[in-house]
Amino acid sequence: MSVLQVILNSIIRASELALLSLGLTIVYDILKFANFAHTEYAVVGAYFAFILNVTLGLPIFFSAILAAIATGIFAILIDRVVFKKMRNANGIIVMVTSLGVAIALRNTVRAIWGASPKSYNVPLQAPIVTKYFRITPLQIWIIAVGAAAMVAFYILLHYTRLGKAMRAASDNPDLAQASGIATEKIVTAVWFIAISFASLGGILIGMETYLLPYMGFAIIIPVFCAAIMGGLGNPYGAMLGALVLGFAENFGLYINFGKLFNLGGLLHITHRALFIPTGYKPAISFVILIVVLLLRPRGILGKKEER
Amino acid sequence: MGFVNFLVYLAIMIGIFAIMSLSLNLQYGFTGLANFGQVAFFCLGAYTTTIITLTFGLPFIIGLIGAMVVAGVFGYLIAIPTANLKEDYWAIVTLAAAEIVRIFFLNEGWVVGGGPYRGGAFGVGDIPQPFKSHFSAQTYPFFYLGIVLVCLLITYLIINKITDAPFGRVVKSIREGNDHLAQALGKDVRRFRLKVMATGGVFGGMAGCLWAHYYGFISPSQFLPLVTFIVWAMVIVGGKGNNKGAILGTIVITLFYNSTRFLKDYIPINEITLASLRMVAIGVLIVVVMLFMNEGILKEKKKIY
Amino acid sequence: MLRLENVVKNFGGLQALSGVSFRVEAGSITGLIGPNGSGKSTCFNVITGFYEKDGGDIYFRDENLEGLKPFEIAQRGLSRTFQISQVPEKMTVFENLLLAPKGQTGEVITNVFFKAARIEEETREYLEKAKDILKLLKLYDLRNEYAGNLSGGQKKLLSLGRVLLTEPTLILLDEPTAGVNPTLINDIIRAVKRLRDEEGKTLLIVEHNMKVISEICDKVIVLDFGRKIAEGTPREVQNDEKVLEAYLAGSSKKWDV
Ligand SMILES: Nc1ncnc2c1ncn2[C@@H]1O[C@H](COP(=O)(O)OP(=O)(O)O)[C@@H](O)[C@H]1O
Ligand SMILES: [Mg+2]
Repeated sequence: MSVLQVILNSIIRASELALLSLGLTIVYDILKFANFAHTEYAVVGAYFAFILNVTLGLPIFFSAILAAIATGIFAILIDRVVFKKMRNANGIIVMVTSLGVAIALRNTVRAIWGASPKSYNVPLQAPIVTKYFRITPLQIWIIAVGAAAMVAFYILLHYTRLGKAMRAASDNPDLAQASGIATEKIVTAVWFIAISFASLGGILIGMETYLLPYMGFAIIIPVFCAAIMGGLGNPYGAMLGALVLGFAENFGLYINFGKLFNLGGLLHITHRALFIPTGYKPAISFVILIVVLLLRPRGILGKKEER
Repeated sequence: MGFVNFLVYLAIMIGIFAIMSLSLNLQYGFTGLANFGQVAFFCLGAYTTTIITLTFGLPFIIGLIGAMVVAGVFGYLIAIPTANLKEDYWAIVTLAAAEIVRIFFLNEGWVVGGGPYRGGAFGVGDIPQPFKSHFSAQTYPFFYLGIVLVCLLITYLIINKITDAPFGRVVKSIREGNDHLAQALGKDVRRFRLKVMATGGVFGGMAGCLWAHYYGFISPSQFLPLVTFIVWAMVIVGGKGNNKGAILGTIVITLFYNSTRFLKDYIPINEITLASLRMVAIGVLIVVVMLFMNEGILKEKKKIY
Repeated sequence: MLRLENVVKNFGGLQALSGVSFRVEAGSITGLIGPNGSGKSTCFNVITGFYEKDGGDIYFRDENLEGLKPFEIAQRGLSRTFQISQVPEKMTVFENLLLAPKGQTGEVITNVFFKAARIEEETREYLEKAKDILKLLKLYDLRNEYAGNLSGGQKKLLSLGRVLLTEPTLILLDEPTAGVNPTLINDIIRAVKRLRDEEGKTLLIVEHNMKVISEICDKVIVLDFGRKIAEGTPREVQNDEKVLEAYLAGSSKKWDV
């Protein structure tokens, strides 16, 4: 595999992760709890798109957009039924509740669609192959959607009234202190944005591989790692974290650490190949997370310490 | 399976999981440490005793002690980089750590001696059952139940005693979000957290050991995060911060979990759907309890002097 | 007893303490006053190690506190309360107090099993002390109530009581009378004076109530915008021009001395 290919794979992974970790981090920022159901919403979104695309036969493009909107609304409904009643509760209580929501969502999906993998109905397209890399049109889409979402979010945050209100609510440590109704509007908007982005991420992952009820859980650790690495509650941090993780996961498996430790022939162990075994890919994000937390307990772009 | 045998099986499950719940209750219920990787202790306990008793052929008691020590040390180590972090970070770090423990046993078949179709994803069988030769097949489960209950009793007494002592007072003040207060009173909050995690690990390891010798077969697929979540449901439903509540919660969830197994005999439903619906119910139960009866069935006892 | 030399603390661009120096003499009560946001609480947090300072030195009984963690500073006999009372809500008033004594035998897990008698003896001793303190602070009837059910003023009193049980050498109180029922303020004044006069304790107190200040303080230090602008007896300070100026400038803000 060429370095260019590894870089491409890293960017693809980063785009998927960014779509998910961005939402996680803004929910944390405004609602002050770590939402363990976040990646499960992405799965719900992916299966919504499955209904539209496979069961109802709509083109995948419209299915994805409709499913993202539907899941955003679904998240708002769950908020009304569950999280709204806990606005003033301790973050850890809400976090545990979100774990309950996660378990319920994941298994509802499994009860309805079963545990076997499902695929979208997408026309097969030939990959673009060059001497140095190979990329499918879908992967180009993933990168494009990821980048577009980040730009859209930037514009939203800096050039709209909603974005201004969100930033104000973020700076106010005590949500209850902000003016009542306006705050609830922000919360609704945040859920919608966070979860529709996450759904897009889930759908893209589902298109690249396949759909599984457990795909949300499979990705929860890297998504949290990306968000934490950038400092939970910091949207740009989440994007940066996703990028770092995407590269770390791919280069981690690519680099021959034997060569690296050899220090340019200094240690005379030239023919030792020392790769991280593929089975340990999930461990890479964890190790990076621990290192980051040890060095910077609030993430790379972490907010200032609170009083 | 005869009805009596089934009851003994249930009692053993309740006993093993009650030890897990008591361990989590010490961590979350009393200290406020959201350990989402409780299953790691269970997994380490099970594998450690398997290695000790099966690979090295040492007696059960050594396996039990080894399991407790290894899981306790793991609890301590995992707390070192995380002890000063916020709860949210704890939850994800412990969850990830538990997955890595599982991935380790999935990839490293050699730790249990290796061999064809053995270790890694294949799991390990033939884990010896303690004192098996002294009993008939009918009476052995009763004896094993006895071992489990003795272990549960010891766990209950120890955890009850330390949570009732000045140690428990300090960890409760840490739970109440008062890191600052405990620090201002000269308490080394970080050390208390490390000790709680180590103690939680010791008993989680004990439960894992009992599980391994009961089933005689372990594999990484038994140690999915699912186990952690079920233990959480037990503690939350039973009543966090109340040791009797943790045991009661274990009974309630275990009975619920197992009684629904028989549903498939009465309604046409496939195994996977049933298993999924069971977990949906557990998830909903966690949400409902958190929303409407935050304290669980048995409230935390008020200490009166 | 306590000595600050050129202590600096920044929050981003804001300098909350810009080179503050003062001394607290053993056996005295020193008041720390100033408009809201002048850096009083920050000063406390820096002394007790909760905030890392950006410059200067702090000495407690001639020991430099540089690099010590808050609990290590507390273990050296420096006890504090917080402006916003820190009370574990799901612990009773008694439990709150029993939490306070330092280095209790029963805080070590193994001792719980091997030194049970000693733990019981300690607990009995602390309980007796706690009872006296609760009676003094008129909280005795609430002894088995969850601290979360107390009023803001009662929580302040409880925090004060807890400090007393730590056997402190130097006591730092952040607004001990804010929100406390006026009839009880006199009890606090009496308790604080007794600490100095009968037990020889040293106190540093942030306080807004000028009556309290002039009645108990031997010396007052005035902060404004993170600087010390005056130091002297309560009477001297009240007539100091700079203080009056800050007073007037601050009156458009909230200056409630
Ligand atoms: N943790 C913090 N982060 C940022 N700014 C702070 C923090 N703590 C205090 N400040 C600022 O420092 C200044 C002094 O605050 P403080 O010490 O609380 O004042 P006082 O106790 O005299 O009312 C204020 O401007 C306040 O906003
Ligand atoms: Mg203040």
